[in-house]
Amino acid sequence: MYPEKLEKHLLRVQKPGRYTGGELNSVVKDRDSVDISYAFCFPDTYEIGMSHLGMKIIYSLVNSREDARCERVFAPDVDMEEILRSENIPLYALESGDAVKGFDIIGFTMQYELSYTNVLNMLDLAGLPVRSADRKSLTPLVIAGGTCVCNFEPMADFVDITLLGDGEEVTMELIDLLKEYKKKGAGKEEFLKAAAGIPGVYVPSLYSVEYKEDGTIASVTAKDGAPEKAVKRNVADLDKMFSPETFVVPFLETVFDRTTVEIFRGCIRGCRFCQAGFLSRPLREKSPAEVERECRAICDSTGYDEISLCSLSTSDYKGLETLLRSMLPWANENKINIALPSLRVDNFPQELMEQLTSVRRSGLTFAPEAGTQRLRDVINKNITEKEVLSTCAQAFSGGWTAVKLYFMIGLPTETPEDVEGIANLAQAVVDEFYHNENKPKGKSVNVSISVASFVPKPFTPFQWEAQDRPDTLIEKQGLLMQSVKSRKITVSRHVPHTSFLEGVFARGDRRLCDVVEYAWKNCCKFDSWEEHLKLDVWMQSFEKFGIDPFFYTARKRSFDEILPWDHLDFGVTKAFLRRENERAHEGLTTPPCREKCSACGAAKLNGGVCNELCAAVV
Amino acid sequence: MNSVRLWYKKSGLAVYTSHLDMNRCFTRAVRRAGIPLWYTEGFNPHPYLTFLLPLPLGTAGEREPLDIRTVEDISAEEIKKRLNAVLPEGLEIVDVTEARDKANEIVSAAYEITARFESGEDAEKFAKSVTDIIGTGTLEAEKRSKRGIKTVNLCEFVRSFEAKADGNAAVIRTELLTGTQQNLNAGLLEEALEKAAGISPETMTIVRKEIYKENNELFA
Repeated sequence: MYPEKLEKHLLRVQKPGRYTGGELNSVVKDRDSVDISYAFCFPDTYEIGMSHLGMKIIYSLVNSREDARCERVFAPDVDMEEILRSENIPLYALESGDAVKGFDIIGFTMQYELSYTNVLNMLDLAGLPVRSADRKSLTPLVIAGGTCVCNFEPMADFVDITLLGDGEEVTMELIDLLKEYKKKGAGKEEFLKAAAGIPGVYVPSLYSVEYKEDGTIASVTAKDGAPEKAVKRNVADLDKMFSPETFVVPFLETVFDRTTVEIFRGCIRGCRFCQAGFLSRPLREKSPAEVERECRAICDSTGYDEISLCSLSTSDYKGLETLLRSMLPWANENKINIALPSLRVDNFPQELMEQLTSVRRSGLTFAPEAGTQRLRDVINKNITEKEVLSTCAQAFSGGWTAVKLYFMIGLPTETPEDVEGIANLAQAVVDEFYHNENKPKGKSVNVSISVASFVPKPFTPFQWEAQDRPDTLIEKQGLLMQSVKSRKITVSRHVPHTSFLEGVFARGDRRLCDVVEYAWKNCCKFDSWEEHLKLDVWMQSFEKFGIDPFFYTARKRSFDEILPWDHLDFGVTKAFLRRENERAHEGLTTPPCREKCSACGAAKLNGGVCNELCAAVV
Repeated sequence: MNSVRLWYKKSGLAVYTSHLDMNRCFTRAVRRAGIPLWYTEGFNPHPYLTFLLPLPLGTAGEREPLDIRTVEDISAEEIKKRLNAVLPEGLEIVDVTEARDKANEIVSAAYEITARFESGEDAEKFAKSVTDIIGTGTLEAEKRSKRGIKTVNLCEFVRSFEAKADGNAAVIRTELLTGTQQNLNAGLLEEALEKAAGISPETMTIVRKEIYKENNELFA
């Protein structure tokens, strides 16, 4: 429910259904009946935030407690923000319409770096000081979780706590602790010190950072008994973990409007550019029976007719065939479509494939990521041109005419031949179509290639690498466009400037906090939206604080440099990442975990594939 | 296959749901209710579900028709009961009937517009002012159609009009041409009246009360 004052303005904004609440399955609790109120904030618009699985999990989890309530908050779009500000309506949570300021915990999920200014904007709209040090009372406590908190140093001055790794267990423990400290009337500092003792909790203010003259880090020191290294949380058994049995069903269409069920966390592949793969190790699977139970429960309670099985690499799920054989008859009978993102079709049983597509046919997608085998070996992406072509041939015979290929440019060691290789691979797919005797008659083929710009990320073997400057990327994009000769190939490119900013914050340090605040004060928000990104303001902001942004992006680091995230522990060791970096430069691939353990270090986190292999614990 | 006409009431928060989203919303509700729908047999099968007279965003409805096709025989009572158990707040099935009249038989509908003001005086002033405006027989406004935006005389779409002050509110009861041939959005009329009268209400609600065929016969 929205605040009454808003009523007369609702029809003046785009898609008012984003601001009303009252959706099916939303949980409305009386604020006086609970001890802890948790405002779960997604720092982007409703349509994007409502598609996020992590929010659905934490929302159901917290609401499963009798002593707590969880409500949803999204970034208001520009038109709505104007109204909130001019009418003095503070940012509110959708379920009760209560002001966010009055909640005990304000939790942000950080999925991409370019949403940082939105966090400050939302805190400001809530009527709160953006800096942690200026919020003196115990509550509201501002916390953050999600992928970006593996290096949240550029936001360290704004949040009180970040939660590292899987949020299910640590969120509950944090709520317990806050409840206790709130009851005894403790202060914020006292609480933060205690919270730092919970595994998975990182309190930025308890670490002081010293810099060298060249701008690199001299030392990071833990204070007040905080652990020297904050370790990520890892849910060992996904079957016993809390999983939602229902989703809030939005009135309006969101980006991913369907049932999403995780089949496993982690990844055995070790693609060297992929941050998610390393951050979420070790691989832990949910049993097929549990996956099916959740799919059925969520479809029943929401009415969704599409299921997406979610993981980093569907084909690596050992229970996939068992699950599909058991679930497909039910799905087909109820006209439910099952989507298997990132499925490798090469060794997938044909009859299952046919059943999968009997409801609705979706597109054929590959992510070779690089144009030549040499570069694919460097990034450890074990997909060969032959595999792509043979799968395409199989698909063309089956009636498909559209193929999507995902690539990156700006990868370490990349040469012009690698960029041209992208066009060559796309051309080979086009040729494969015309050589295919069983291709659909009278139809043309469409190969669309999407080219992203590579951004080196923390906790990957490429964390030391230099990122291509925007002008270099534009040149490479130009070379690619020249190399594409067929009109059957369409190319979509990304704006290199967003990748540049993303790169700054991905591997940035605490000195960037001032920059983020200044840019936000000068109207930067929704930076991931091309139409909102104000690059000139960002460049002025860097300049104002004497910071060279290319120090963070274009500089190759030495292996012995202290990185801004070195005091966080996500399982994988720096020694392993270094070995992988060296292998990359030698063009050597590394086998997946199930074939051979590479002693990455994640085994100490207990669970999943490491136990399965009885691997040597590092 | 059975054609069934659902009559639903749309109020409260649900008025902020657009027509396209209503379609999604009802498709899911019917699925949750376990009512087996008939699916179209094309390349991309989808359940058959037709709103006969989509409500504009922001307008509530007392009794709005929606046709579905089921593959099993289910009683009207059962359909109503099952759907009402699963519909979100603000949406309610008030009746289930056979689909008798055709959508193109609709010619007009009765609307109730309630404009709330800070004082009873303002409400009086508004009610009197809008009655006078309609009385002149001319109220020009820009109207968007498939062929683009053009200026039309809204009074040509008004079949009856009555405005009265009631406390701090002005209540307008009006019958407007509605349907596939000629159609006027009650929200557009209210906006034009507001502009011409030079007074804006604090809040405003619009409800479609009844839908008519020729000769003021109720659409069924």
